[in-house]
Amino acid sequence: MGVAVLGIMVAVRVFAPPASATSGMAAAARDFVSLSISVIIESLPFVFLGIVLSIGVQIWLPEGFLLRRLPRSPALRRPLLSLLGMLLPVCECGNVPLARGLIVKGLTVAESMTFVFAAPILNPVTIITTQQAFGGGNGILASRIAGGFVIANLIGWIYSRHPGQESLLTVQFQEECSLEDHAGGRNRRVQQSVQLFFRETNAMMPALFIGAAVAGLIQVGVPRDVLVAVGSDPVRSVLALMLLAFVVAVCSNVDAFFILSFGATFMPGSIVAFLVFGPMIDVKMLALLRTTFTAKTLLQLTLLAALCAAVLGLGINYVV
Amino acid sequence: MSFRQLLQRWRGVVLCLVGVVATLWLGATGGLALYIHPRYFVFTVVMAVIAAVLVLAAFAIVPAREHSHERHGHEQADSHQRRRRLTGAGSGLIIAAAVTALLVLPPSTLSTATVTQRGMNGSTSALPKADTAKLVGADNSSFTFRDWVSLLQQGAGTQYLEGKQATVSGLVTPDKSDPENVFFVARFVVTCCAVDAQPIGLPVYRPGWKTQFQPDSWVEVSATFRANPNTGGNERTVLIPTTIIPIERPAEPYVY
Repeated sequence: MGVAVLGIMVAVRVFAPPASATSGMAAAARDFVSLSISVIIESLPFVFLGIVLSIGVQIWLPEGFLLRRLPRSPALRRPLLSLLGMLLPVCECGNVPLARGLIVKGLTVAESMTFVFAAPILNPVTIITTQQAFGGGNGILASRIAGGFVIANLIGWIYSRHPGQESLLTVQFQEECSLEDHAGGRNRRVQQSVQLFFRETNAMMPALFIGAAVAGLIQVGVPRDVLVAVGSDPVRSVLALMLLAFVVAVCSNVDAFFILSFGATFMPGSIVAFLVFGPMIDVKMLALLRTTFTAKTLLQLTLLAALCAAVLGLGINYVV
Repeated sequence: MSFRQLLQRWRGVVLCLVGVVATLWLGATGGLALYIHPRYFVFTVVMAVIAAVLVLAAFAIVPAREHSHERHGHEQADSHQRRRRLTGAGSGLIIAAAVTALLVLPPSTLSTATVTQRGMNGSTSALPKADTAKLVGADNSSFTFRDWVSLLQQGAGTQYLEGKQATVSGLVTPDKSDPENVFFVARFVVTCCAVDAQPIGLPVYRPGWKTQFQPDSWVEVSATFRANPNTGGNERTVLIPTTIIPIERPAEPYVY
């Protein structure tokens, strides 16, 4: 069946209408499609990589391999988990399936939150690109690293005190967790890997495509000059760039280059708020995280991350 | 199992396959440059091939139909049935939209609508000042599109640019302040993907240009930098064209 479906899709692509077919579309509609496709094409390899890593963690790593190496004390585990992105430099899209895999292997929900929020910031690619964009001397890089670390650990600590951690997860994902049974020989593990890929893509792909469409729509619909107009106000500039981070959904590996263009207009605290909040929460991430966390949890997480990033940004604007 | 349920069950791998076919086709035809930075080409194609193998393996290994006892044993419940119908319809809608956007519609670049939305030459990071300083006094025969825009926007000065000749190509975009006489030859600077594209452009003084060229069409302009004959316009220095030739969209429409 797979070859038949593949054949149909290739035929659709080969016999698709020529470029002139879109000449009747409004320019904004064409750009909406182009921007949405761009989000998909850019994110897909990272999502695939995240799923492959998740398969590796869940099925191919020996039982307890990861958890045995982590400290027993939650207060030490969370800081260590927030540095896991140093070893697995996947951007935020790929971290969601990886975090799901880590939960299945025994991480608590709170610990997975610390990982998923810290890893896109505390990874070598993000650090290098931020350093290239802003340099190391003006405090933006240090504030981003420290801010990301502290906020991710704070969120993890808050949710570690939640009495019913499983209730933070969607029913579907709780069912996924209960399916975990990865004993067996090599052939059995290959089968399990394919089945896990099947389940993970079933959860991730619709979320990615919906998130990409929403991101494309907002990009076409919200004029940038509306946001830029508030750039010199210490409070509104922070809120405006956090809103921009939420809307544009740029990959954390390169968001520093993107926001550099606003560096002359916006205050430093707002730049840091953008660089810290964006990798944690944006429209695309919300769609992906919804595969795992309940809507109520996501709303709380969004407000919490936004509040922390805003406090960080305002602190820099007023104190520095 | 109904068709809707089948769609719901297989939506993940089918969407994967849509993405994989689109990626590999764009990779084979040079279309990836319309959406992402070239440094991601190899990674994107390699991950698409790995995903293709896993998708085909999923079709071969995973049972086509879900057994009723497998995961959802309460299908008799009305609310559950309704939810499944809705999810099935939603899955079909997402797949149809994905096939249309990624496989049916031809790939295209961003247009003047995005130039207007993001603002021409509004990005300082797209035009680093340090690079501009190096350009002044250098041999201009090898200047790129971005080099010329850097010089114009970062204050190389009318005196420096006066009389210098340039041949550039880009998207025809009307000037906001003097749309009857001036249009921009525009390109997008891309850092990661089209989402972060920032428009940059060079103003071309050509009264009545709209009768000859459509906005969003591609042109190659050979021209000389001069002071803007229309002193009321926003642009102090413009290109006075010798020739303007309509061209096809280049294989790499963005600048990096």
